[in-house]
Amino acid sequence: MVPLENYLVLSAIIFSLGVYGVLARRNAVLVLMSIELMLNAVSLNFIAFAAYLDPGKITGAIFAVFVITVAAAEVGLALAIVIRLFRNRATSNVDEAAIMKW
Amino acid sequence: MGAEQAWLLAAIPAGVFFVLAIFGRALPRGGDYLGVAAIGTSFLLSFFVLGDLLSTEDKLGPITASIEWSTIGKFELRQGIWIDPITVTMFGVITTVALMVNVFSIGYMKGEPRYYWFFAVLQLFVASMLMLVMADNLLLVYISWELVGVCSFLLIGFYWEKRSATEAAKKAFITTRVGDVGLLIGIILLWKATGTFDIHGIIHAAEAGQIGQTYLFVSIMFVFLGCMGKSAQVPFHVWLPDAMEGPTPVSALIHAATMVVAGVYLTARLLPIFEVADGALLVVTIVGLTTALLTGFIALAQTDIKKVLAYSTVGQLGFMFVALGTGHPAIGMFHLATHAFFKALLFLGSGSVIHATHHNQEMEKLGGLWKKMPITGTTFFIGSLALAGVPPLAGFWSKDEIFVALNDKWGLWAVLILALAATMTAFYTTRLFIRTFMGKPMDKHVHDHTHESGYVMTGPLMFLAFLAVTAGFVVFHSVGKGLGLPGGITEFIFAEHHGPHEYEIDWGFAAASVVMATIGIFAAGWMYWGNSIERSTALAERNPGIYQMFKRKFYFDELYQAVIDRGVLGFSYVVSWFDRYVVNDTGVDGSAQITGFSGGVLKYLQTGRVPNYAMAIALGVVGLTVAGLVVRG
Repeated sequence: MVPLENYLVLSAIIFSLGVYGVLARRNAVLVLMSIELMLNAVSLNFIAFAAYLDPGKITGAIFAVFVITVAAAEVGLALAIVIRLFRNRATSNVDEAAIMKW
Repeated sequence: MGAEQAWLLAAIPAGVFFVLAIFGRALPRGGDYLGVAAIGTSFLLSFFVLGDLLSTEDKLGPITASIEWSTIGKFELRQGIWIDPITVTMFGVITTVALMVNVFSIGYMKGEPRYYWFFAVLQLFVASMLMLVMADNLLLVYISWELVGVCSFLLIGFYWEKRSATEAAKKAFITTRVGDVGLLIGIILLWKATGTFDIHGIIHAAEAGQIGQTYLFVSIMFVFLGCMGKSAQVPFHVWLPDAMEGPTPVSALIHAATMVVAGVYLTARLLPIFEVADGALLVVTIVGLTTALLTGFIALAQTDIKKVLAYSTVGQLGFMFVALGTGHPAIGMFHLATHAFFKALLFLGSGSVIHATHHNQEMEKLGGLWKKMPITGTTFFIGSLALAGVPPLAGFWSKDEIFVALNDKWGLWAVLILALAATMTAFYTTRLFIRTFMGKPMDKHVHDHTHESGYVMTGPLMFLAFLAVTAGFVVFHSVGKGLGLPGGITEFIFAEHHGPHEYEIDWGFAAASVVMATIGIFAAGWMYWGNSIERSTALAERNPGIYQMFKRKFYFDELYQAVIDRGVLGFSYVVSWFDRYVVNDTGVDGSAQITGFSGGVLKYLQTGRVPNYAMAIALGVVGLTVAGLVVRG
């Protein structure tokens, strides 16, 4: 059986990639995809811990399902905003959408 | 009814107060009959209380009743009544005078606005005074004390449309308040030392020497400050003459039976403590002597008949304190009682004059009224003689007792001062009478429209005149016995240490007293006979400085006004500076500026760029994690 550490390392790598994407990417859609990466890394962590520490129960799986649900809702909302942004400003670059300030 | 239910005496008028205050407007004649009925009931009940007291073993009581009011930890607060000869004497004086004033007011206040309200407050006034004299603990005393003050405020300011009336009401309230603060401090100090508010508990503790001398002296002096304020002793006397702004029956009530005698009563009640505290009695005596003398001088130069009477009241209160200063509560209470009757008579008489002359109370416009108002004139004459101390009227006996006791206790110097005051009393009383009732009228128009008042007003005058003649005789053993008392008034009320003593005429002092009264009366007669003011005007013109000093009341009002102006203005200047520069500029504006400034600087953190926020979040997480690891070690 694959040791728990492998899952954790994988999860950490995926999370870091997500963070990098969020910070480095300028396209709003890619930023959203990076956020999905981070969420999935977290879900993977949940599943791994659940399977290793408490195999009989599905507690971790339920958390993963919740994360997926919330992520779906979040993406639905975020993509709608991105579409409005593109319609109004003809761009999906997050640096250019900077009117919400002092 | 037993004397344990004596609280009814106060409860009945208090209940009628609420009835009149709420429904009085709707009742026919403003419900004045309810007021008379209430006070009348209290008047009758006071005889039952007296009967009960006399049926106790040694005829002196006391009869007590109390209920538990509240318990806080170990401290138990009881409220109750204490009926002893002093209380019963006060009951008699208060209810008699109040009843007469109530009846008189029906005539005097007829057609006045807020007629029902006048009677309502009158009931509350009497009720609180009755409660004050039967309270067995200082807390209840203080509550009734303040109630009396509030009622006097309401009644002095009864004609609140007049600015002078509201000013006088405020002055009375605030001046007495200065003393009342002292009273409160005194009560708290005594409570702190003894752990009880119970008057007799405190007295026993003081007599047993459980309270340190200095501590006791200071606390009893604070209490006495309250008594001075209420009883208008120098330097708190300024409010009483101004209180003449109230309707005249109120003046009669305030000056005779309620309010001002509260201080005398409380001092008499706590006299054992004054005796234990070294020097306290001397203070009482000196305050009384000063007051009697100063107000005697002031009264010489007043031309308003009510003002003259007001200053004579202050002076007579001084006599009472002098009497108490000898350590004999009986003599103080005796003078209080006789004074109450003849001063109520004089005030109601002046009320009758004022009513008849359509609110004229300046001597400059009166004169020659005796023929027009025979009953008022005659009763006023009797009252004046009693005040001047002419035998055998009431004032003579009580003043005589004061002189004898004063000589025994403090010696001749005090007697001489008081004798001067008594002579002046006789002088200005005679002056008042001559200039109001005798000789030629000063103002023909006023004189022509004057008429005798109705029976509802002259009735009380005649009854009080009867008392002014006879009340003094209770000092005699046989008269007291005849009334069912254990003896004369000095055998009925007495301080425990001195014990009862049977009254004997001291012929020397009696003769001196008569001589003083005669000198005063004849001097005034010589100066004013036939209502002529030539001699007095000439005298005043020869000594303008002294005359002005008396006329302007020794500049007490001016002094207080100046002090208040300086003090209040100076203090307000400091307060306004503090408000402007500290509260407003620093506190209010300062905090706003700090907020605005920090907002102005920090707003640049909000760039509007999402990556910046994301970076901040990421760095924050990293930072917190690192910090967590460092702290965990």
